[in-house]
Amino acid sequence: MLSPYRVLDLTTERGLLCGQILGDLGADVLKVEPPGGSPARRLGPFYHDVPDGNRSLYWWAYNRNKRGITLNLATTEGKAILRRLVPGAHFLIESDNPGTMAEQGLGYAELEKLNPGLVYLSISAFGQDGPKASYVDSDLVILAAGGPLVLTGDDDRPPVRLSVPQAYLHACAEAAVAALVANHERQRSGRGQHVDVSAQQAVAQATQAMILAAPLGEAEIKRMAGGVKIGSLNIRLIWPAKDGYVAITFLFGTAFAHFTKRLMDWVYEEGVCDQATRDTNWLTFGGQLFSGEGRKEYERLKGVLEEFTKTKTKAELLRGALDRGLIMAPISRIDEVVSSPQLAARHYWCEMEHPELGEKFRYPGPFVKFSETPLTYRRRPPLIGEHNREVYVDELGMSEDEFAGLQRHGII
Amino acid sequence: MTNTLPLADVKILDLMWVMAGPAGTRVLADYGATLVRVESAKRIDTARTLQPFHNRKPGPDSSALFQNLNTGKLGLSLDLNNEQARDVIRDLVRWADVVTESFSPRAMKMWGLDYESLRKIKPDIIMISSCLMGQTGPMAKFAGFGNLAAAISGFFNLTGWPDRPPAGPFSAYTDYVAPRFTALSILAALDHRRRTGQGQYIDQSQAEATLHFLTPALLDYTVNGRVQGATGNRDPHLAPHGVYPAAGTDRWVAIVVQSEEQWQSLCDVMQRPDLLRDERFSTLEARLTHQEELETQVSTWTKTLDPFRIEALLQARGVSAGAVSSTHEVYKDSQFTHQGHFVELEHPTYGHTTVEGSRFRLSRTPAQINRCAPTLGRDNQYVLETLLGYSEEKISELAVAGALE
Repeated sequence: MLSPYRVLDLTTERGLLCGQILGDLGADVLKVEPPGGSPARRLGPFYHDVPDGNRSLYWWAYNRNKRGITLNLATTEGKAILRRLVPGAHFLIESDNPGTMAEQGLGYAELEKLNPGLVYLSISAFGQDGPKASYVDSDLVILAAGGPLVLTGDDDRPPVRLSVPQAYLHACAEAAVAALVANHERQRSGRGQHVDVSAQQAVAQATQAMILAAPLGEAEIKRMAGGVKIGSLNIRLIWPAKDGYVAITFLFGTAFAHFTKRLMDWVYEEGVCDQATRDTNWLTFGGQLFSGEGRKEYERLKGVLEEFTKTKTKAELLRGALDRGLIMAPISRIDEVVSSPQLAARHYWCEMEHPELGEKFRYPGPFVKFSETPLTYRRRPPLIGEHNREVYVDELGMSEDEFAGLQRHGII
Repeated sequence: MTNTLPLADVKILDLMWVMAGPAGTRVLADYGATLVRVESAKRIDTARTLQPFHNRKPGPDSSALFQNLNTGKLGLSLDLNNEQARDVIRDLVRWADVVTESFSPRAMKMWGLDYESLRKIKPDIIMISSCLMGQTGPMAKFAGFGNLAAAISGFFNLTGWPDRPPAGPFSAYTDYVAPRFTALSILAALDHRRRTGQGQYIDQSQAEATLHFLTPALLDYTVNGRVQGATGNRDPHLAPHGVYPAAGTDRWVAIVVQSEEQWQSLCDVMQRPDLLRDERFSTLEARLTHQEELETQVSTWTKTLDPFRIEALLQARGVSAGAVSSTHEVYKDSQFTHQGHFVELEHPTYGHTTVEGSRFRLSRTPAQINRCAPTLGRDNQYVLETLLGYSEEKISELAVAGALE
């Protein structure tokens, strides 16, 4: 879909997903790494747990559909080569600490002169300027400042993050949206621009607007494991099953009453609640809960539901959810996700061949299904410098001597 | 002179509702697309019923969540169960570049508004359907919110403490991730159409899009056979790496040490040079094997100080640290203030409301956020008369027939 476009991906480990999204959409993405390989290649887990720059699964995760070249941007020659690549590019993505690219003479102001149509994307923790722009970043610190962290975890323990780092992924996905907004504008104006993407702002999306409580005069929202805490009300959303846990949206009022009715019909059929409980008016129960009078009954109902879910396996509960139209889902482990019948039926998983290892591996498939231009996985993540010759000799027209010289001097 | 907004020429008929869908189209409105958002009084958007609320009181326009998701969109009330209302939809399809919907699969077909029907009206229309699990497969009809898609996609099991039941990420995680893929898929399809004249249908499973945020863990399983689980706040390669108690009730600070130099700086700030010599903590490997003792040592110090004070002390020394802001503190965050992240808008019911601004900045054509989310049917007249060119008579007929409810 984006095959006319070329992307220069200069990102560190923070910004890899953005270029991959554009690559999945068909753009020609050149991943530019320092000689010896990107620091992202040192991040685990590794293929068979053996640390190796070409076998980092973190690298594999976010560099599909890119070509890989090495280039030492700390050298004058390296910068000169990058400047030769800039006029042919439509997008440039970087995720260095704010100001670093400009210090190297590779900031937007400089590169715009070489290519006024360039969309230059900067991905950072807190944005390019402001009081926290130079903060030392980390997944936890971004989540702490952006709002999701305080909302997550058991209330008697520290707030907790998702165990797979997320903050920069939010920023990268946001950056891909921004790239295409700027691209759309460029078709009209012929001009590019500088795009400043902040991971803190991106993760704020994961607070579901709870950070707007203050200006509206609403109470602070606090964390509660497996649920949401609203004032003194603990809304529980996770229940134990016979073999694990399930998530159930056990709520009331206009949007939820019919689901809850169907759920309680089942609970009654199984003999876990009495008729009066089953026939509660779930439409009005929500109001009673917020006004306080339904609190005690809600606590009792949570116990009833737990008694019910404990007798069923996750599979039984999912079957019931599908047959009866309930808002309930099993809490799946990674292996269960990979063996999901739903994902299999949709042919979600994509096998990619790694000829250097003589093996194929299953990757998560296209992020959406386009009817006319289905996304394809054309290239497995590049080895270090895999496309140097193709880019420098075949495309930039370097002589063999020049190419060999650059290799010798550690420029590429 | 103001620049024309990037998407000023893009027209979208937006039939999405609740969270994931509207979050995806909100960003397009920020950058100038004209969005006609259709909603029925007979089935109001669930997001209108979710908190936080203005002055803690529920009401059809009180939800900050609804405001935040629908800022800048036009509001048209239509009852899609009414045949005349569906004719209005067909006229809007002729007007639009893009149609979006996030009903459960089959609803659009039932109304005769599925892609096959719409492309007969407008061959180059782009249509996106977004739902939890996708339009096909045994779980296509699976209803619910993003918490369920996140639960079944592995996110809940990966959030929490190894010795406790899963905590799960806050609320409806896929509703926060999938919207980016909705917006960028629409924009990519528009670019393709501009060059080729070809429209298309996009089937978005919110679960499938969001799984790209777990790829390293998924590969660890498909490549190595390892099933990753929740590890609290620990990192397999860094220590200290956690959230520590600060002075005060339920106050916390995140501290992440990424190098030996930073470890030395932390010990220096804590005035604990002895830890550097302690063989349990002197190397990264040692610290990784003595995490509990390490956490106790760090906590002993953090407990005595305000979390924002710790943030300042450690950041000044090049150590990644940050107070865990409460929801109210995020609103006052100095960086957000600098960026103008929170935008105050006029509101007909509440005088003012506050929403988040764009999550990125375009240097030459920044977002414009200047109109609050629609009250039900707020823009009926504008849409029907100005955009569709309907006569007063026709509009009254629609009203009398109950189409505009």
